[in-house]
Amino acid sequence: MDRTLVDFVKVLRTAEIKVSPAETLDAMECMNIVGYEDRTFLKNSLAVVLAKNPEEKDAFYDCFDRFFAPEEFSRSEDSDDSENTDHNDFDDNDGDFNPNEGNNQQSGKGGGQGGGQGGGGEQEEELNEETTLQPTSELGKLLMTGSKTEQTIAMMEAGREVEVNQIVVFTQKGLYTRKIMDAMGLKGLQEEVSELQGHGGLPQRILAKNLKKARDLLREKVRDYVEKQFFLHADESGKQLREELLKKVKLSNLEKRNFKDVQEVVFKMAKKLIAIHSKRRKTFKRGQLDVRKTLRHNMQYDGMFFDIKWKASKVDRPKVMCICDVSGSVSNYSRFLLMFLFSLAEILPKVRSFAFSSDLGEVTKLFEHSTLEEAMARTMRDYGNGSTDYGRMLMDFKNHCIDDVNNKTTIIILGDARNNYGDPQAEILKEMYDKAKRVIWLNPEPKSSWTVGDAEMKKYAPCCHQTEVCNSLMHLERVVGNLLKSVT
Amino acid sequence: MTLKNEEKLASVEVIQESFEKLHYICNPQIATAVFLAYHLEKPILIEGPPGVGKTELAKTAAEMLELECIRLQCYEGLDESKAIYEWKYGKQLLYTQVLKETLNEILEGAKGLSQSVDKLHEFGDIFFSEEFLEPRPLLKALRNDDSCVLLIDEVDKSDHEFESLLLEMLSDFQLSIPEIGTVKAIENRKPLVFLTSNNTREISDALKRRCLHLYIPFPDVDLERKIVQARVPEIAEKLRNQMVTFIQELRDLDLKKVPAISETIDWARTLILLHSESLDPDLVRQTLNVILKFQEDIESVEAELQSVTNKALKEN
Repeated sequence: MDRTLVDFVKVLRTAEIKVSPAETLDAMECMNIVGYEDRTFLKNSLAVVLAKNPEEKDAFYDCFDRFFAPEEFSRSEDSDDSENTDHNDFDDNDGDFNPNEGNNQQSGKGGGQGGGQGGGGEQEEELNEETTLQPTSELGKLLMTGSKTEQTIAMMEAGREVEVNQIVVFTQKGLYTRKIMDAMGLKGLQEEVSELQGHGGLPQRILAKNLKKARDLLREKVRDYVEKQFFLHADESGKQLREELLKKVKLSNLEKRNFKDVQEVVFKMAKKLIAIHSKRRKTFKRGQLDVRKTLRHNMQYDGMFFDIKWKASKVDRPKVMCICDVSGSVSNYSRFLLMFLFSLAEILPKVRSFAFSSDLGEVTKLFEHSTLEEAMARTMRDYGNGSTDYGRMLMDFKNHCIDDVNNKTTIIILGDARNNYGDPQAEILKEMYDKAKRVIWLNPEPKSSWTVGDAEMKKYAPCCHQTEVCNSLMHLERVVGNLLKSVT
Repeated sequence: MTLKNEEKLASVEVIQESFEKLHYICNPQIATAVFLAYHLEKPILIEGPPGVGKTELAKTAAEMLELECIRLQCYEGLDESKAIYEWKYGKQLLYTQVLKETLNEILEGAKGLSQSVDKLHEFGDIFFSEEFLEPRPLLKALRNDDSCVLLIDEVDKSDHEFESLLLEMLSDFQLSIPEIGTVKAIENRKPLVFLTSNNTREISDALKRRCLHLYIPFPDVDLERKIVQARVPEIAEKLRNQMVTFIQELRDLDLKKVPAISETIDWARTLILLHSESLDPDLVRQTLNVILKFQEDIESVEAELQSVTNKALKEN
């Protein structure tokens, strides 16, 4: 069962539930206490141990139900019944193909009444054993005499052997079905079947026929199983693969149908960054009197409170001002830049966001109070798709916001610096450069085209502490990571 | 750990029953968490919206097991001197005074500085010792002669630093005091620890990893009815069903703060005081401020009051 649990934990991890090795150990201990008898009890218990937030709990219940599929449980519970049912099915065939057998009528009746009649089935079994041949190959024996539970267990063991949980893409299903069948001893069965068919005798032929039928049933079952495993293991890892790709692809090349995925990736990135950096989010209050330190320090002065110690007070208020170009020339990017801006506002306590194509507008409030889609749509509507005028933007910034810039402020400008041959007003940027702690320019274009055409990067770059190319989610993640490190 | 009322934790059903006797109605998930917390000797981190009975669970567990409940209310700025221990500074100062006066006796016959220092060391140093230690909730819970229930309330309100401070306590049931050493819980006397969080911020993974995690959502209709019945038994069945349906409807609306169980119970008590027998729109309008705590919520509900009330009346 330990192995099963480890497999289960692996499934949980692909479903993006973070389970540490320590928690796996806890889960094992928990299983020892709880036992396997009560399914809901086990489910609730493991949920308490392994899933650590409401979203994870939902995902957990889902995984649990899929991994420990109830049918497999119920099979093992009433395996006796199903065993008999099985034999009824096969007996039914016997009846049909053995018209000369003495027990024909009886077995035909039993089979005709369908499965589930335990008593009748047993009786027939006894009778048939005398007349039919028993298969010799391993798999054949399993198919003919083993219960469904045994078959399922054998199948799962074979699946483990061929590592079906490594399945990644849909097209591998056939391959894995085949592999599992092989591992269960398909070869032996095939040989037996052809041997029996070659033999020619009636009982042999019947057995061959039954074996073939059982084999096809098994194949169906294995295919089913592989499919389930695929959804369990590969569905999520396929998604991870897609996300990795999305991160590397250039933002402008992303298509509309990817937007939803990208949004998810951006959120995930933002969340990760929040988790790492939110610690520094706090702005500390003035320190209090540290009695212990004071006392200890003043012991040397004969216990007189001479040198008073305060509890360290950290005053750390990083301020970020973010200016985002939403004009036509970067329309492919602006969506993502805004997304980035939005995530940034969630991460840092004091972000003021601005958007412009020519006139600068503050969107801080909008970002605080609305959802991403709404905020983005409204920003694009209000400020988007005009022709770019960086000079104007800088003028606006100077008129309205330059007083709020101090030596703790980081200014981030997102844009391609293509100014339509207008006045770049680089001296204003210089002024910002002097006043602010850092000025960072993120440009979606590759460095080689920074000076081509109407791009003014050449003039702007000296007035920035840092200029970076930023055109894929990976860049974005890296830049934000570094940013947060330096900002906070 | 062994407790005097261990048999009350024998199984999930037993826990549910014993809780019910104390008027705390819980679902199997909650009982399972308590069961495991005891058997795995692990703290439980309880999350959920405000007012679903997170703190109440810890208090009820203490009551059920007849243990002392030591509570530590977390807030911003809480530090070790308020949570773990503090020195009795006044007494320490007195001690130095006393020491100064007896200094001559101690140093009698000593020649030279080094001998004096040796003599001083022989005298023994109790400046930092248990005598001058003032235990705070966490330390108290560890050193309690009997097992106890430790409730660390609203851990999300505390600082990150404090969260890290808790880790040692939660994983090994021990605390380190630099001047004295490590204080361990007495074997088999480990406290049963409950932490509650309103999720105002994400609790760190390190802390989560050390705890069992229990999420208490809003109850469904049946459970909420049972809870109201247990807490406010005086209320008539018809009215109870009506008000529970009404509250459940409210939770589906888009509100700033949806009413929790505690509000339902308050409302039930209010309705009893008003001697009402059945809900009607006017009555609801007058008592809406019991269940809704924001003016804008009240305004938005008032618009739909009629239809929601009628729905509640029709279904019961």
